[in-house]
Amino acid sequence: MDAKKNSIIGNSERRVDAWGKVTGSAKFAADYSLPHQLYGKVLRSGHPHARIVSIDVRQAANLDGVAAVLTANDIPGSRVFGIVVKNQEILAGEKVRYMGDGVALVAASSVEIAEAALGIIDVVYEPLPVVSDPEYAMKEEAPRVHPEGNVFVHHKVRKGNIEKGFASADFVIERTFRTQFVEHSAIEPEAVLAEPAEHGGVRITGSIQNLFSSRRSVAAALNLDLNRVQLVQATLGGSFGGKDEVMTSMCCRAALLVRATGRPVKMVNSREESMLESYKRHPYVMHYRWGARKNGAITAMEIRCIADGGAYASMSPFVTWRSVVQATGPYACENVKTDVYAVYTNNNYTGAMRGFGSPQVNFAIESMMDELGERVGMNPLEVRLRNCFHRGSVTATGQKLDHEVSLREVLQKAADGIGFPEKWKRFREADGGMHRKGVGLACSYRGVSLGAEGADAAEAVVSVQTDGSVIVSSGVTDMGQGAGTQMSQIVAGVFGIPVGKVLFLNTDTNRVADSGPTVASRGTIVGGAAAKNAAEIVRATLLDVAAEMAGTSPRELAMEGGFVVRSADGTRLASFGEVAAECFEKGRPMHGIGWHRSPKTTWDAATGQGDAYFTFVYGANAAEVVVDTETGKVDVVDFVSVHDVGRAINSDAVRGQMIGGVAMGLGYGLLEEFILEEGVPAQLNFDEYLIPTSMDVPPVTTIIVENEDPAGPFGAKSVGEPTNEIAAPAIVNAIFNATEKRITELPANLERVRLGHALRRPGPRGSALKDDGQSLPDLSCKIRPEKL
Amino acid sequence: MNPTITLSFTLNGRPQRVDVSPNRTLLDLLREEIGLTGTKRGCDVGECGACTVLLDGRAVNSCLVLAPQVAGREVVTVEGLAPLGTLAPLQEAFIHHGAVQCGFCTPGMLMSAKDLLDHSARPPEREIREAIAGNLCRCTGYQQIVEAIEDAARRTHEAR
Amino acid sequence: MRPFSYIVAGSVQEAVAALHEHGRDARVLAGGTDLLVEWRHPGARVPRVVVDISRIESLRDISLEGRDVLLGPLTTHAELIRSGVIRSEAAFLASAASTIGSPQIRNRGTLGGNIMNGAACADTVPPLIALGARVTLSSVDGERDCHLSGFYNKPYTTVANPNELLTQVRFPALPRGTKSAFTKLGRRNALSISRLSVAAVVAVDETGVITDARIVPGAAQTVWKRAMEAEKILIGNPPSVALFAEAGRVVSGVLIRETGRRWSTEYKEPVIAALVRRTLEKCFAVND
Repeated sequence: MDAKKNSIIGNSERRVDAWGKVTGSAKFAADYSLPHQLYGKVLRSGHPHARIVSIDVRQAANLDGVAAVLTANDIPGSRVFGIVVKNQEILAGEKVRYMGDGVALVAASSVEIAEAALGIIDVVYEPLPVVSDPEYAMKEEAPRVHPEGNVFVHHKVRKGNIEKGFASADFVIERTFRTQFVEHSAIEPEAVLAEPAEHGGVRITGSIQNLFSSRRSVAAALNLDLNRVQLVQATLGGSFGGKDEVMTSMCCRAALLVRATGRPVKMVNSREESMLESYKRHPYVMHYRWGARKNGAITAMEIRCIADGGAYASMSPFVTWRSVVQATGPYACENVKTDVYAVYTNNNYTGAMRGFGSPQVNFAIESMMDELGERVGMNPLEVRLRNCFHRGSVTATGQKLDHEVSLREVLQKAADGIGFPEKWKRFREADGGMHRKGVGLACSYRGVSLGAEGADAAEAVVSVQTDGSVIVSSGVTDMGQGAGTQMSQIVAGVFGIPVGKVLFLNTDTNRVADSGPTVASRGTIVGGAAAKNAAEIVRATLLDVAAEMAGTSPRELAMEGGFVVRSADGTRLASFGEVAAECFEKGRPMHGIGWHRSPKTTWDAATGQGDAYFTFVYGANAAEVVVDTETGKVDVVDFVSVHDVGRAINSDAVRGQMIGGVAMGLGYGLLEEFILEEGVPAQLNFDEYLIPTSMDVPPVTTIIVENEDPAGPFGAKSVGEPTNEIAAPAIVNAIFNATEKRITELPANLERVRLGHALRRPGPRGSALKDDGQSLPDLSCKIRPEKL
Repeated sequence: MNPTITLSFTLNGRPQRVDVSPNRTLLDLLREEIGLTGTKRGCDVGECGACTVLLDGRAVNSCLVLAPQVAGREVVTVEGLAPLGTLAPLQEAFIHHGAVQCGFCTPGMLMSAKDLLDHSARPPEREIREAIAGNLCRCTGYQQIVEAIEDAARRTHEAR
Repeated sequence: MRPFSYIVAGSVQEAVAALHEHGRDARVLAGGTDLLVEWRHPGARVPRVVVDISRIESLRDISLEGRDVLLGPLTTHAELIRSGVIRSEAAFLASAASTIGSPQIRNRGTLGGNIMNGAACADTVPPLIALGARVTLSSVDGERDCHLSGFYNKPYTTVANPNELLTQVRFPALPRGTKSAFTKLGRRNALSISRLSVAAVVAVDETGVITDARIVPGAAQTVWKRAMEAEKILIGNPPSVALFAEAGRVVSGVLIRETGRRWSTEYKEPVIAALVRRTLEKCFAVND
């Protein structure tokens, strides 16, 4: 089918779920209730690291209104879960490893009673030494969070010979960059409603991002077959990667309480509980050392990154793998040595968050690129254009880019949009003054979908009703990003019917096949391709039937405007609904099961070489800032975001992703920092953890570049994450342009911009020791998990 | 220990009588006692704005209003913006401009916008941004929301 | 939130009677924007009795009595911002109110609440102290007046007795031609608590010499006070950027002398000086 002729693809169709969301009728997880439901609450650890000596729940269990009090010993099946490393406990048994660990559960007739019961559970702890600094955690003498040692990931990339590379360099630039813990800050806190199911299992409706992996853990914890555990996704109030493992643990806990009481159990996190327990974006310490020539060419890159994994492995192996693949940025270099480690500490564990290991390294790479430009006398645009990949370039992992590499195009458009390099030169030469202006540039390449992380396939089911309306269900979830709308558009496009005729169902584990996680911006590209396949299966049948009706060949027919038409002259032969009805009469199948598997990727863990992703996307951001040099306050006053999305299925939705991504990146660059002091969170609500308001985000100019990619449905590629990964470096580079100060630690808050460093409350920082560069054990992580 | 009190007030244009413990907030009352779940709970400390409703015509955080404080007063929630099955111009504009993503901030955002447009016919962009500054949104970056409010103001103004 | 008894006071008499009866067990509730946040925390000190004064209409108005501005404590921040009286007689108080929280908070939070809660970052207090505001406390025993400058012992602690109710805030309107300004530094542009703030008042006579100067830093000390040493430098001199900068340095020096050098001094020292200078400059700016 010719997508170009298709008016639905590329259109800014209204979101299929918008009506419910503007009228208040959309049901989010916490909006569900059942008669006689109980309220579940979790007693969380009061220590970042401690041995549990004893837990006495007798008094709590006897409290009026309490239906159950459970500890780890009450779990019939597996007590641990984890997508890569199964070492996260549903309830801590022997010891607690961070402040958010749960030690006991209560179900009671009201939240107040449940909370009162938590207060009289007597837990005796023996505090253990806390390790909170990831560099210190790598040392032999550091306290161990898990028995196998603290370094649990070591990814490498080896290309060429860096000794030679540095030897041929005219100079070396060496910098250390640090990033912070970041809270996902979905405005909806985590919630589930779990209930006993008729068939003896459990049904859970909740704000769950990856239903299939959560289901596996619930089934294992309760010793149930997977088919007895039904997880249904409620309308999801934002996730950004943040409703995965924390939801798995909530699902397991709620299911245990259902099993213990035989009654429905509702669990809703307060914001404080959410911030205390949930995983964060990884803080990174990044040592970058580049050798380069006077002409701006980069001869060697030596990169060493340490990610703070916190108390559990979670997605760290995958997050850091994306970092190792993309650590050089989209810049040509023959000699590369990259090492990325993830280590356990007693901080909040860290996992998936929009960007997934790229915002950290992009901050370092794009800062380095500006430093290189400074050194060789090129402006930031020139130095990028000189070094960036083009079609046919070979990446650090040895992958040849044989698709349209649009870096020059996106960079030039971003530069033109903000007035680069004219403004850059003018601001640089401007006299001082209190308020100084600056512009900054950043670009990136990003591997699409999971890459060599794991099997990358998804299912969609398209079912045509006898009146011509259509139901689409998918194993890929809509988290608010609009995947449902885009899948509906794709299906409507195949059938040539209005999007309003298509209903998208939220994911239900018992009605569609396991489609892997909705992560890595794969919603549209993988889920959408599956939906397209499914619709095309039904379309073929419907065209067959229509051909019989019209006494012609299906090859002569097309579907458009709600009708089956003769391709040659557009004559309408029958409405889509009439053909559907006829199809039913004839007993022909009216549903299609679509399956899409992404192209193969390869990876050799020993050398870090391979075709890591089946395709890449390219983007560039340009920021203009005003820096108040007296207070350190930075205002972003203009912003241009340019992304090659392959093909925009829904341009309004793409624009929404682009602006939202910039806003989140602005928070990362300037405001947000989840501070832990020796493992203890210093802020637990939005009064102290500051995300950007409407007054902080400037109007963003969005430029969508479309170089269709054969790998995606209708040529589309991913958009959710690339939009979020380069705003911070663009802003930091703009601060440099304004002040000639290089910010090497995020966020660039008042103190860092004014003083060049953060203010630190005095206190014992025994774990903040310098790394002595001692050799590390080889822990090449297995990339492909047994199941994903 | 905590006897309930009987509370009468106007909710979405209709008289409402309900028994409530005085230590419940207006947000608790709406969501848990009355069952109007359109108003959302995001932080419970008046920072996120997801629970915004109109109290006597002005936007307030319902998590920071004690339930008995609304006795005799008028409360409007997202469910009261338009008759069932129809959309108010603001709601139309939010859909039309792609101002809705996950939708969790949307009800509160609409109520802040409603307060603004009820008191200012054609607010400039700056005023719109100020009016929704107490409503955090993590998805949109606010721009399409601002555009939607501008458009709703224009359409409402032209209809007058 | 732990349970409590709830009393609606229909009048000042009813409110003070309830406070008299319950003393330390009672807490006065107005807009609730601070108290409800405080009470919902587990382990919070929730009072046994809540006395809701939000319906006492007599505590709500803004008026002029001669050259004195009278403010009811139930005046919301939004009402302060919209008030013609405030805008003409004490413009910087309206500016300060407009920086508080969000529209929702300003629609609900009250001046009296801001004063009585006594957080070090309360934004209406520095301008009120610069204005020489006095507060009236009422109880069953009668009324007493206090200067706001002597009202606080430390953050969150006032000299008011548990049986006393704040019933009025009063200050002399700024003389015609007197200029005022408020500057707040927050981490973001809305929903922001003061990292530091400065309220300032300056009057210049016909010869161009400063005759009155009042500077009150906010969020900088344990209790608010006028920066008298800096004010003295200004008086008798013609306004100039250099003079304002000097005043800023003096304010900063005095603060450090009083609080000692701490981990945050490195930042506050230069920044409070800059904010003082800017606020004084703003007094003379055309558009403020």
